[in-house]
Formats: sequence, structure tokens, C-alpha cells
Amino acid sequence: MTITPAEAQLSASEKLNGFPPAVAESYLAFAESGEATRLDHVVLGVLQFYLAQPPPQPLVELPGTTRLVEDLGCDSLTMVDTLFLAESLFNIRLADDEMARVSTLDDLRGHFQRHILGHAEVTA
Amino acid sequence: MRTARVVVSGTGFVTSIGNDRAAVSRSLRELRPGIERFDFLPGTELPVKVAGTIKGFDTTAPQWAGWRWPAGYTIPKDVLRGLPPHGLHAFCAMEQVIADGRLTATVLADGETGLFCSSAGSPRLMRQYLNQIHDSRGERIAPMSVVSSIAGTLNFNLAAHYGIRGAVAGFASACASTTQALGYAFDEITLGRQRRVLVVGGEDLSWESIYTFHGMRALSRNPDPARASRPFDRDRDGFVGTGGAVALMLEDAGAAQARGAPIYAEVLGWGQASDGSSVAITHPEGQGLARAMRQALDSAGVTPGEIDYVNAHATSTPTGDLSETRALQAIFTAVGARPPVSSTKALTGHGLSMAGVMETAFCALSLAEGFIPGNANLENPDPACEGLNLPRTTVSQAPRLVLKNSSGFGGSNACLVLRRWEI
Repeated sequence: MTITPAEAQLSASEKLNGFPPAVAESYLAFAESGEATRLDHVVLGVLQFYLAQPPPQPLVELPGTTRLVEDLGCDSLTMVDTLFLAESLFNIRLADDEMARVSTLDDLRGHFQRHILGHAEVTA
Repeated sequence: MRTARVVVSGTGFVTSIGNDRAAVSRSLRELRPGIERFDFLPGTELPVKVAGTIKGFDTTAPQWAGWRWPAGYTIPKDVLRGLPPHGLHAFCAMEQVIADGRLTATVLADGETGLFCSSAGSPRLMRQYLNQIHDSRGERIAPMSVVSSIAGTLNFNLAAHYGIRGAVAGFASACASTTQALGYAFDEITLGRQRRVLVVGGEDLSWESIYTFHGMRALSRNPDPARASRPFDRDRDGFVGTGGAVALMLEDAGAAQARGAPIYAEVLGWGQASDGSSVAITHPEGQGLARAMRQALDSAGVTPGEIDYVNAHATSTPTGDLSETRALQAIFTAVGARPPVSSTKALTGHGLSMAGVMETAFCALSLAEGFIPGNANLENPDPACEGLNLPRTTVSQAPRLVLKNSSGFGGSNACLVLRRWEI
């Protein structure tokens, strides 16, 4: 765990102002429980909010093989915006070369699960 | 080379006195001010208590995701992420000028449409982002920190979003910026290089953008919103800051008519000249401004006696207003001319780089609708203003020829001459 619930409360009010309430709720729940599913909901919720065109259904419901660029129209700035905010929320630092290898929703989930939860494989 | 008649064929306003043309016009006619008490830095007791506030928007949240704006504007997230607070206002002003001027996406991207902008960038976002980088020891750099905060942010964002392929440039001569931008836009059109140029000015209203002027004691410390900004008054003590954004379209008259765009005024010419004396104080005799006015009048082919209204730069600072007074006396009083002179900054506050385009838009409304805004808050005219005609109330008289003055740091001065549209 990289953040305490108290830190998460403060961070959510500062950094998730204007995001759908479900993102902040998942973030606070993750800070309490450390559950991988909650983490996924935060990361995918942030990405979904940043996407210029809304996806056909919530990202958490799409297959993990969904491609960020080809299927969701995610440009490189949207990607770095998402990673920047997620790094800030979870107080982690992701290596630039690792970011370049993220191309699907599962890649994104796995990226954060490895860094924050120490998971070797993605937990869907 | 082509010589065209250049007209004002579209307006867009997000200002302290209104967020659309009708509201702005009403405020100008009725001298309704947009200045109110404003807490620049909550939790402190700053000596500067008032500002020209923007109503209906909320950009206080540190990230764009938390900003709010009036219903009716659809702003894509991929645009919002690169905007400073005043960029949100500029986007809305652009939407207005596009609708008003009957511009289509095809026209915007036809290569004959240019975009000239000016703002100081966003000192607020720059402070926020630089602090973040410093505090994280270089670990956290927001992806859009540069394009959203530096001077040029308006032209970067608006040109990209609207697909503008003509001339795109930013101007950085402080409070003379957007008047110069309008002048160069006029040149681009008369030279035949562009058919139309959109000129946009904007500024953040924040302590970082405005309160910093208190360092040179340029801001009014009068806590009364109704009396703090009082250009030409004996008791003026500084300017009142404001933010927002204004967009104005200059266009070849034939192109505007062919599209059925409204024509508010014709631009006849412009001039510019520098003081060459001080980095921050206007020349005591207004020499640069006087030369700029003379050049503008010559460029337009009119005499001082033909001017029916002067929209002054006058910001309500003791030295600046006096300098402009001297310049006006040299151009007008010396030849027996007494056109009405007013500063609309008494209503709006001073919009810094936005001021020129905002006040030129006011002049265009004055010409199109037939009125001259008076000098709000003027109680005791400075005796030094002897010879100037400073109406205190709105004059129900349709001007035919108007002169607009602007002055900026470093002694830059720029002036425009506009005429009521006559076919």
C-alpha cells in the first residue's frame, strides 16, 4: 500500500475534483482495502474521464485486450495525462520505457498492479 | 498586393461587464460596472480589495476537471486539458465570434483565416506546476504544463482546435498587445495575405497575474468597488485588475458581406510608436502615444477635428492617465478639437493584454449602436485634464469616427481609427 486512507481523503479532494464520483469512491475504497479491483476502477476511471470520445461502454466492462489507441482513440497526451495523475494519486514513479509498452487495458491494469500491489500477473 | 476595406465582422465577450454582446452593450450604455470585492489570496489581508470579476464561470479548482462554465458551451476534454483559466474564457469568446460572424469550419481552415492572440500566459498555472516540479525534485511534471501556462497558450490552443491554417501569432507588448495585434491584422488583410484575422486577448484573474502589480504600487488600494477605478479623476490611486477574454474578427469587407456577416465598424488605419524612456512608466508628456495617435490619424486619412470619440487607455494610475492627458492635449486641444474622451476601464477594470481588443470591441458597438460610453466614477476631474471633454454619463450621440488608444510596458503605444460602416 502506498497511501493511507487519510492521505487518500486529502488527495481525492485535491486531485479528483470534477471527476465522476465513482472514481474518488474507488480510490478511497482502495486506500482502505488494497483490493486490485478497486485499483483497476481508479486507473480505468481516470482514463475513461480523459478520453476525448466516450467509450461504447465503461472501460471496466470492456475486454482486457481492448487496445488503447486503435480501439479507444487514446492519443499519447491522454496516456501521459492518465499516468501522471495515477502516479500522483498512488505516490509512485513509473519508468518511461515501461509506459511505452502499455498498449491494452490489461497492460494498464497490470502496470499499476505490479507497481502498487507487487502482483506478477494482472488480476482481472 | 490587394487593398481592401477592413471591417469588424464578429465579436465574442467574456468580460466583467457581460458574457455576450447584448449584456456588454447594456453595461456600456447604462454604465453598469463589473467590479466587486475580490479576495486575491484567501486567509491574508492584502491591501488590494477589488477586481473586475467574471461571472458564471468558476476556474478556482487547480485542475481543469473541476472548472465550471455556463450552459451552452461544449468544450472537448482534449481541448480543456491544454487550457489555462483564461483559455476557457477565450474558447467561449471564440465560439461567440464564430457564431456571430457566421464562420464555418471550412472557412476557419481555408488558409485565408488567421489568428492573432495575446495573454500573459497563466502565472497561476506556472506557479502551480513549477512548485510541483520543485517539490517532487523533478519527479512530477504535468504533461500539459508548458502549453497551458506560457505566453502563447491562446494561439497554441485555439489554432489547433479550430484547425486554423492561416497566419497564427502571439503578441507580447503587455497592455498594447491586442491593439498591435489588431493593427497587424489590418495590415495582413490590406496586403491581401489574409481575408480575415481573429484577434483574441485574455488574462487570468488571480493574485499571480494581478496582485503582483502591487509591487510597483500600480493597483488601487481603494476598497470601494464603485470608486476604485476612476480614470482621469483627481483622486485616482491605481488600476483595478480584471480577467476574461474577448475575440474580434477583422475581415475584408467583401468577404464579410458575401457571407452575410454583421458589420459593426470599419477599421481605417492604425499607428504605433514607442516612448523609448522607461521600462514601466509612460513618458511624462505622452510623446510616444502622441506620435502613435498622429500616425493612426494620418494612416486613416482623418484630422483630429473629425474624431467623434476617443476610447482612452487611461487605467486610473496617477502617472499613466496624466501622460495620456498630455498626449491628448497635444493632438486635440492644441488644434481646438474637443471630442468626448472616456475610459471604459472604470467599468471593467484593466484587462492588461486583453484591454486593447476588449475596448476596440466596445468602440465597434459604440459605432454600430450609436452611443458614447461616459466616464463612470469620475467625480472630480484632474485639473491637469483641462481642455479635455470628459463626459460623465453616456452620450446618446452616434459617433462616426473613433480613436482607440493603448499603451504598454516598455513604452509601446498603439492606436486604431474606426469608422461607422457606410457602404
